[in-house]
Amino acid sequence: MDPKTAMYVAQGIHGLAYGMILFLVASGLNIIFGMMGILNLAHASFFMLSAYFSYQFLSMTGNFWVALLLAPVATAFFGILLERFLLRKIHALGHMGELILTVGVSLVILAGVKIFWGTESLPLKIPPFLSGLVSLAGMDYPVYRLFIITLSLVVLGIMALLLYKTRLGKIVRAAVSDADMVNALGINMPLVFMIVFGIGTWLAGVAGVAIAPILLVFPGLADQIGMDAFVVVVTGGFGSLSGAFIVSIIFGLLSSYGVQFLSQLAPLLMFIFMAIVLAIKPTGFFGERE
Amino acid sequence: MTNKVFKWILWIVLVTVLAGYPKFFGIYYTNLFVTFAVFAIFSVSFNLLLGYTGLLSFGHAMFFGAGGYGTALALKHIQGLSLLPAVLIGLLSAGVLSLILCPLVVRVSGTAFAMLHLAFGQLMHMLAYKLRGITGGEDGIGGFPIPPFSIPGVVSINMKAPENFYYFAIVVLGVSLWIMWFFTKTPFGQIQVGVRDNAMRIDYLGFKVPQTKAVVYVVAGAFAGVAGSIYALFQNLISSGALDIFTSFAPITMTMVGGIGSFLGPVLGAAIIQMIEELTTRFTEQVELVVGLILILVIVFFPMGAVGLLKILKQKWLARSAFKASLEKAS
Repeated sequence: MDPKTAMYVAQGIHGLAYGMILFLVASGLNIIFGMMGILNLAHASFFMLSAYFSYQFLSMTGNFWVALLLAPVATAFFGILLERFLLRKIHALGHMGELILTVGVSLVILAGVKIFWGTESLPLKIPPFLSGLVSLAGMDYPVYRLFIITLSLVVLGIMALLLYKTRLGKIVRAAVSDADMVNALGINMPLVFMIVFGIGTWLAGVAGVAIAPILLVFPGLADQIGMDAFVVVVTGGFGSLSGAFIVSIIFGLLSSYGVQFLSQLAPLLMFIFMAIVLAIKPTGFFGERE
Repeated sequence: MTNKVFKWILWIVLVTVLAGYPKFFGIYYTNLFVTFAVFAIFSVSFNLLLGYTGLLSFGHAMFFGAGGYGTALALKHIQGLSLLPAVLIGLLSAGVLSLILCPLVVRVSGTAFAMLHLAFGQLMHMLAYKLRGITGGEDGIGGFPIPPFSIPGVVSINMKAPENFYYFAIVVLGVSLWIMWFFTKTPFGQIQVGVRDNAMRIDYLGFKVPQTKAVVYVVAGAFAGVAGSIYALFQNLISSGALDIFTSFAPITMTMVGGIGSFLGPVLGAAIIQMIEELTTRFTEQVELVVGLILILVIVFFPMGAVGLLKILKQKWLARSAFKASLEKAS
């Protein structure tokens, strides 16, 4: 195969991997928003926190799988604490209060990360069995990117099973359309909210661990991916998972091919895309509510 | 009658204090006061959106930055531009930016409005950061000439002396504050509050909701531009840092701490935050931690901010004195 095609395919794989990571973060945001109406601006901070946790677990145990398993759980624990002890108290104040509170939380996490791990970038090695290239149909693919894509698909599959095949999933889907009614039917909604918030931050956590070996772990990580994830949610439509999926993949490809063709202005492509979509349909691609 | 006299006395005291301030407190605190005044105006313009119209913006820094860049670029490239037109250019550039954005943003509200502004704010920040040829990127535009304040043939005051600049800044910002106050007292200001409380009803009453939002949006943007313009003149520097997300959070924090519901709440909040920052930077570098904790504590415990707290205290005090009076009557 000629080198030009190979390059396009490689960029495509990079874009897909980034898009899947973006989707993991954005789907967490979207689940929380769809159900509780809370736009968690600290979501990307949890993502970053999980990357730091994975660094910590990896340097303590030396086992990547342990880090992949434990770091998102630890992150979800902090997310549940946030929901239980802060967000629940100010729910009566409306969305302004929640937005501002989560901004405060994200600042505190940023400061905490700087205090515990310092401000310099921490390198995280790709585990040996996932590094290197694999040959498929005469082309080489980086194994770790393929691993990220597979991991995201597996997580997606688990989420879909959870959402459509279990009782909890049924309750969640009902609550998305009318949480008060579900509460009135005798289901402990505060508990469900807490679980959903935990799952949302867990998803961000998984993405954080997965991306840590590609990017360095540094305090600016949250800004970098957080903005992309928010743009995905806004463009795809609040609360719409399929919208988030499509837009994530588009953005992943836009950013990887954009870097190739217009390196300087690549970050702007996304915003331009968003502005066009919103100018035509203010609720986003698949969104029905604001 | 006595109320009116009291008001006049208050005004005279305020003006005397402001006029005498640089003499009493020295250069350092004078400069601190100018910073406070800039952020107070910035926050009040933000509160026109949040407090009066119910629109939360996470990107108000872009107007601040537009004003700053407008003034700085004008002074750098136009020879012999005098001071007031430069500030006016700052106001206009922020106003034009908000005019460009308003057809898009007035159609949404609530969370979508906040998120759109987060995105646009970041976009502007990135533009200022990347277009080094125009904006100087992270280093910014510095050392542009600061013309003297002059009315031809009457007076010419050198603005490089911090004391003179203090008076200039205070007058410009004071006038901006007064205009915004006046703006909220007009019938139009009442419609604004109506849009916040019940947009659909305002619509049924025959007022135009998106247009109302657009006007408020442009006014708020323009005055944030004035604040940014004065800030650029004061620092003699404007960089992409003035557009970043922390600049957008500053008025949010100040408004929340001061109290959303009132016009002067953000001013009080700006004073409180300025004092806290001044004190904390002496002991620790973790400004983010302090700001974050303040936001969380205020939202959880005092959602109406300092003004709300003062109101509660006043009510308690009144209730207690009424209770005492009734006790005395009884005895």
